[in-house]
Amino acid sequence: MTVQLRRGRRPAGQGAGRPGPKPLPGSRPRGGNLRGSTWADVALLLIGACFLLPLLWLVFASLDPTAGHATKVPERPGLDNFTAVLTPELLFRPLWNSLVLSAGTGAVTLVAAVLAAYPLSRYRSRFNTPFMSAILFGTCLPVTAIMVPVYGLFVQLRLLDSMPATVLFLAATSLPMAIWMTRNFMDAVPLALEEAAWVDGASRLAGLRSIVLPLMGPGLGVVFIFVFIQAWGNFFVPFVLLLSEARQPAAVSIFSFFGQHGAVAYGQLAAFSILYSVPVLALYVVVARGSGNALALSGAVRG
Amino acid sequence: MAANHRGRQVLRYLPVLPAMVLLCVFLAGPVLWAFHASLTNAGLTGRHARNPDWVGLDNYQRLLQDPAFPLALVLTVVFVAGSAILGQNVLGLALAVLMRRARPVVSATVGTAVVAAWVLPEIVAAFAAYAFFSRDGTLNQLLAKVGLAETDWLYALPMVAVILANVWRGTAFSMLVYRTALNGVPAELTEAAQMDGAGAWQRLAFITLPVIRGSIATNLMLVTLQTLAVFTLIWVMTAGGPANGSTTLPVLAYQEAFKFGDIGYGTAVASVLILTGAVFGAAYLRLLREQKP
Amino acid sequence: MLRRTSKTLSLLAAATLVLAACTPADPAGGNKTIKVAYQKTDSFTALDSMFQDAKKEFEAANQGVTVELQPIQANDDDYGTKLALALRSPSTAPDVFYEDTFKVRSDVDAGYLLNLDSRLAGWGDWNKFDAGAKEAGKADDGGTYAVPLGTDTRAIWYNKKVFEAAGIAVPWRPSGWQDILDTARKIKAAEPDVIPFNMYAGKGTGEGTVMQGFYELLYGTGASLYDQDSKKWVVGSAGFKDSLAFLNTLYSENLAVPPADALDPNVWKKVFGEWFPKAKLGATVEGSYAPSFWQDGGSYAWPGYAQEMGVAPFPTQTGGAPGAVSMSGGWTLAVGAETKQPDLAFNFLTTALNAKNSLKFTVASSQIAVRTDVAADAGYQSANPFVKDVSSLVSVTRFRPATSDYPRISAAVQEATEAVITGKRTPEQAAADYDAAVAGIVGADKTIRK
Repeated sequence: MTVQLRRGRRPAGQGAGRPGPKPLPGSRPRGGNLRGSTWADVALLLIGACFLLPLLWLVFASLDPTAGHATKVPERPGLDNFTAVLTPELLFRPLWNSLVLSAGTGAVTLVAAVLAAYPLSRYRSRFNTPFMSAILFGTCLPVTAIMVPVYGLFVQLRLLDSMPATVLFLAATSLPMAIWMTRNFMDAVPLALEEAAWVDGASRLAGLRSIVLPLMGPGLGVVFIFVFIQAWGNFFVPFVLLLSEARQPAAVSIFSFFGQHGAVAYGQLAAFSILYSVPVLALYVVVARGSGNALALSGAVRG
Repeated sequence: MAANHRGRQVLRYLPVLPAMVLLCVFLAGPVLWAFHASLTNAGLTGRHARNPDWVGLDNYQRLLQDPAFPLALVLTVVFVAGSAILGQNVLGLALAVLMRRARPVVSATVGTAVVAAWVLPEIVAAFAAYAFFSRDGTLNQLLAKVGLAETDWLYALPMVAVILANVWRGTAFSMLVYRTALNGVPAELTEAAQMDGAGAWQRLAFITLPVIRGSIATNLMLVTLQTLAVFTLIWVMTAGGPANGSTTLPVLAYQEAFKFGDIGYGTAVASVLILTGAVFGAAYLRLLREQKP
Repeated sequence: MLRRTSKTLSLLAAATLVLAACTPADPAGGNKTIKVAYQKTDSFTALDSMFQDAKKEFEAANQGVTVELQPIQANDDDYGTKLALALRSPSTAPDVFYEDTFKVRSDVDAGYLLNLDSRLAGWGDWNKFDAGAKEAGKADDGGTYAVPLGTDTRAIWYNKKVFEAAGIAVPWRPSGWQDILDTARKIKAAEPDVIPFNMYAGKGTGEGTVMQGFYELLYGTGASLYDQDSKKWVVGSAGFKDSLAFLNTLYSENLAVPPADALDPNVWKKVFGEWFPKAKLGATVEGSYAPSFWQDGGSYAWPGYAQEMGVAPFPTQTGGAPGAVSMSGGWTLAVGAETKQPDLAFNFLTTALNAKNSLKFTVASSQIAVRTDVAADAGYQSANPFVKDVSSLVSVTRFRPATSDYPRISAAVQEATEAVITGKRTPEQAAADYDAAVAGIVGADKTIRK
């Protein structure tokens, strides 16, 4: 039904009040803009190159068995660092733990944020603004500042060394941003579409599920990615709240490359970092690809 | 009738409950504890670890007398203004605009490159940035190749280095938000303007930007508040140095709380940080409210 | 709320202890567990191996007792944070843990460590521990709260190639500060693009600045940071000014690295990885663990280090008694104050630190032995060619007055050195700034002019 909704509703929603078939809103400007396109390409490529430059060190160091913190092309490139790092306890288990924590946090945050954003977006109340303002300040909180009381709290509630409890805490810290972003994206879905569904007899929940959420697809994707990435890279929270080695995510186990007296195994650190970042990059590509198709659609509702 | 209405209000806002519970238990409680701790001399170790004394506003008075504090405040504002308000925000918008005009292949590639910096775990990004800006790092090597002077970025211009590093790291978020926002601008508006003879820049300034101003304000707000909390990047690159030259408020709070074990003082700094966030947030809220007709 | 709860928990723990003391111990009763917390990283596994061995030994000798090992993967700072958090409440506090000498006094103040005096008196091996090393575990009240695992000393490491090229006789043994300056000037004259003598200074290298630099100077003048008798911090000493003046001379005559380099937290990596192997540095003051970087498998493996490097004690100001200065850090093992099995915990500690385990650990982690029997062992002595020299410094070594105020005092010392080497303050001005800073940190009544 959802798919049909997209196909069926699209011209109606877009065509309402506008004469004749039009190109999709948000589509590329047609016609003779080839020159404009080229300088945009060049500008983009330049910026892209700037963004890739600092990563040069990462790539070189991972291929260099004798890597230091200086960027230099390896004299004898080899995959030693990668083979040294590709062990279950150094890489696979921590990556799995990271996945569990990040996906769990993303899911919990998304559900809680969508649920919370709906009343805040759809209803008018004196409650809205104070609530949104209050949680706004949650986004600027440095988590290190509250780790001492959180640790105490977890001790009292006997939640230490528990993955589910850590997921809940991570979700709580991601909620402020997530609620803001979700409400923003939800605001972009006009009430008119939902009202049409209510007229057809759907409940609010059904309306939310079948109309609002699909149309917010790319927005939800951005929120999920954001929360996932934050949780993926979060060191301090799992470091403090998880005790056993077997539960530590990759963000914590990366510190095993930092030895005594401040020495760092740079080559292995770089190799580990690349392997650690690849899953999230892949996730982004997948979500962006999926959102891309619906991206054009999101224009239909902005009118 | 009123009771019925009230009941309906509560029922309507019931979905907010899960979020509320999570926020109250895990955030509000600890934040209140942190405020309370800033009024004591709690320590991580030492005499006051188990038995902190109430000291009232002593920690805050000490803050005002400590030379490191006003510097940290100024540096934090500079850091936020430079890397968030100007850097990430403007660059993100520019990227989003350019991506709409460029070839899809180029857009996708560059998008991935920008996101790669964002996706890297913070400690790794921090090290990559450190390696980039250090004396014998990539940036100086490039400058030497082009014939420009090399600079000791991390020691002569630490704030420049960390601001650039943070822009590199966080622009992806703004880019994603603006891409979504720009896709919502109806083509009829821009095409009508084009037919009226408006150039690309004019279309951007007078049509596109006003239409997405809600997103701009929201993005500014979120990016600013997030940047206020940046810690690991600065810590790894310069450790707040040299001579507190890049010690922003989060760095100062961490130093006091965990290096010196002075939880009371550290949470006082964190409280000031939250207050700074409140000031920025209030400013943006006014901006947002003005936008909504 | 937290305070009340921890008070309640403490009361409960105390009540339990009293009850346990009143009832006769049941040797075969129930499964007792001891929690052991310590640091473990990719490159630092010596401790983990030691505890695994000790666990096997202990569980075999004590049926019904389980040793639960809790390794913490983190760098030194984060390990300290995690341990401090765990020690805050008795339910998470480990029974035996790896404790930095730096933290012993402040943790005793916090009530986290168990006083081991009576138990140590009954342990035969205790008198095999070096008297100087025992200081590591002592607190202000004179009691011993921790047992040292190993220690390190500081000395001058010099490159023989550089010295010989400048016409200085090796082995080199400076007789005083003036000798160091003269030798450095000689090297500078003979080899202009070599750094003659490196001494860490400034806030960048943190504790390294004071441990491998300033304190070697200060403690060689007869002055000190902290007066043990009056329990007050020393201000206004001539020795402090002299030490700053020495650094001033070293840096202003370009006998050391450029100040910008000194402020780099990673400058020590260049010292070990680049300058010494390439004979670009004459000498530096560094810790006894230096060979661990150059050995096979170390971060900066350098096969020729044994032939090219030499080590000399850092002299006192004029060469007077005791002739050399060294500082020690190192780590200890301690027992939690609120442990439910103090005897078992202590017994595990002694098992972990018996002669066999101690020897294995000390050699594997390039530490200096604190047990005289380990120090005399042939295997230990042949670990690297410098072991004998650096071990002999244990007799003159000093430990930091690591009270809970110490980190801030140390930061004030580092600031003083930074002000001097960057030319921002004269030694007298910097010393006066330091005096004011100390008064601000501990209160004027805790300072003493000497």
